[in-house]
Amino acid sequence: MNLLVGLLIGLKEIRAHKFRSFLTMLGVILGVASLLSMFGLTAGMTKGMRDTLKSVGGVEQVRVVQKEVSQDLLPLRDVSPGRTLVDAMAIKKGSVLISHVSPEVNLGGATVSRGAHTARIPVVGATEDFLTVNIHEVAAGRFLSALDGERAQRVAVIGREVVRELWPEDPESNPLGQTVLINGRPFTVVGIFNFYEREADRRRREIARSEGRTPSKSTRDGWGMYRRKNQTVAIPLRTLFVEFKSGVLGPQNEDQGPDHRLTDLVLKVGDTDRFEEALSQVANILNFTHRGIDDFGFDTREDWFDRIESSARAARISGGLIASISLLVGGIGITNIMLASISERVREIGVRRAVGARQRDIFAQILVESTVIGFIGGLLGLAFSVVLLRLLVMISPAENAPFVEPGAVLISFGFAVVVGVVSGIYPAWRASTLDPIQALRYE
Amino acid sequence: MPLVSLQNVHKIYRIADQEIRALDGVSFELEAGEFAAITGPSGSGKSTLMHLLGCLDTPTTGRIVLDGIDVSQADSDRLSHIRNRKIGFVFQSFNLLPRLNVLQNVELPMIYSGVSARERHQRAAEAVELVGLSDRVQNRPLQLSGGQCQRVAIARALVNHPPILLADEPTGNLDSKTGADILALFHDLNRQGRTIILVTHDAQIAAHARFQIEIHDGRAATRRTPHPVS
Ligand SMILES: Nc1ncnc2c1ncn2[C@@H]1O[C@H](COP(=O)(O)OP(=O)(O)OP(=O)(O)O)[C@@H](O)[C@H]1O
Ligand SMILES: [Mg+2]
Repeated sequence: MNLLVGLLIGLKEIRAHKFRSFLTMLGVILGVASLLSMFGLTAGMTKGMRDTLKSVGGVEQVRVVQKEVSQDLLPLRDVSPGRTLVDAMAIKKGSVLISHVSPEVNLGGATVSRGAHTARIPVVGATEDFLTVNIHEVAAGRFLSALDGERAQRVAVIGREVVRELWPEDPESNPLGQTVLINGRPFTVVGIFNFYEREADRRRREIARSEGRTPSKSTRDGWGMYRRKNQTVAIPLRTLFVEFKSGVLGPQNEDQGPDHRLTDLVLKVGDTDRFEEALSQVANILNFTHRGIDDFGFDTREDWFDRIESSARAARISGGLIASISLLVGGIGITNIMLASISERVREIGVRRAVGARQRDIFAQILVESTVIGFIGGLLGLAFSVVLLRLLVMISPAENAPFVEPGAVLISFGFAVVVGVVSGIYPAWRASTLDPIQALRYE
Repeated sequence: MPLVSLQNVHKIYRIADQEIRALDGVSFELEAGEFAAITGPSGSGKSTLMHLLGCLDTPTTGRIVLDGIDVSQADSDRLSHIRNRKIGFVFQSFNLLPRLNVLQNVELPMIYSGVSARERHQRAAEAVELVGLSDRVQNRPLQLSGGQCQRVAIARALVNHPPILLADEPTGNLDSKTGADILALFHDLNRQGRTIILVTHDAQIAAHARFQIEIHDGRAATRRTPHPVS
């Protein structure tokens, strides 16, 4: 007997018992639907987290951080100048694999004020690359230029949140050309950053606007990252050194001379495929500028993504386990019904054996039937999961909206077919080992 | 060489301590083209003998050779193959598959001998015509009379052109008129050269057979009637 004949017999059997077959499939249908929905949910969650991470600098971002010097170099620690502008320039000149270098200095606890309005907001000294490396965009005016730096101009580019705090009477305006005081010194506003927010919030805001409502203030803000980004005040790095770091007082109030150390040194790798190579190139350069003292390290987004990946994996595995159990229960249902249908068909099996069916022909016939049930159940399950996922998309936050990867479809469907095959094995074995004479006499 | 040859065949069932000698040393030979009738009281071992001849079972001891093949100790797959090619079996209770129509029922043996769908159709239609049911090919067994059902079963038994046709009380479930028709069909088939072995309770029917096997308590006595009543 060839497979096609077996398939036809199986299909005929299923068609002859449509309702019973449907009930049998129900377990598989629900199992597949929940498995696929679960995959969709975790995929959506991972994607949401990834997108948030990307908006504050993707995998190509590398932070050069300070690190404890190793034991044997400890006495020589002060030989190294630490992270300075020299590093930034050396990397920019020396490493072709790094496309952007953003040396940054944070002026912690700065006061930014305009008239009676004061805000305590960190001010960052930045260069042109700051914009690209930190995924900033200018909404109005311009960003800091190289010329601003050279001339140590007192200019600032500020975030939307800063505008809202200093211009509460007109929070959505672009106060270009106006003056703010940073630690008492006047700076001209030359640019306003974009307003950054989660995709979901933006959509909600637009819907509210189109319906003529004032949007309710968002309560969540992507781990505070968006808020922090909207509070940026950027001034030229050289201006910051000149205005605020020219004479640093030591513990005894003595002038220690200018302080050129950076609080941040952020790099953008041009080609992420050569990430490791780029890092070692930078390490070589820094080893030179730091005179062999290993007081620096790298902080990459890779670690963050790894963490997201592993938590998503955990969610996938636990969710997958639960959904799989429901699919297995569906399989037990198939086994059960197949056993029942075999005891109804003992005589048929006897007749088939009498006219020449081998044991393996009977085995194949039953197995094909359960496989077809798994197959059709899998297909219906996929159809059902379309409905289920649409429902889930409606009730889950937009940036975590579940979405279906082709691999997940393949896995869910494949699992259903496997369940169909496996659950048919025992009934098929029972049917194929029936004694033909007994089977023929069976009433 | 005889078509069917049995040498000292025993079939012994053991249930708990009890030993049932369903067949207790049966030997006979049958040439191709014979018409044999097996008679005997109930429980004497007629069906058991048919099952052995039909390769649904193997003897406990002894030798059975069908068409030159020793089937005494054949394994399950081999027996299936022989049933498929060498044997046509007609049962008392027809044993048609209720969900298949006449044509599909007749096609059944060919499914297991790898015949193409087209040839299956053609040969099944021929076999159905041979038993005179060409106008009922689309009917289900439940839509047919007992006699028609048995004709379908005979067509099914013939369709693979087996050398041996076995029938265990083929008229047992039919009224005498229909039974006579079926019997006439068997005689027709025999005249066309087919070898037929049938079990019957009816001494009248047995008298029509050239070769008679009478079974008592698992032992067989054979008799040949040179000129059977017909
Ligand atoms: N599977 C079995 N297990 C045990 N004993 C069996 C089995 N099959 C048949 N027998 C016994 O073997 C003997 C012969 O049975 P068989 O069915 O061959 O009789 P029969 O001649 O066909 O009877 P009938 O005319 O009533 O059909 C009986 O005593 C029966 O009980
Ligand atoms: Mg009997």
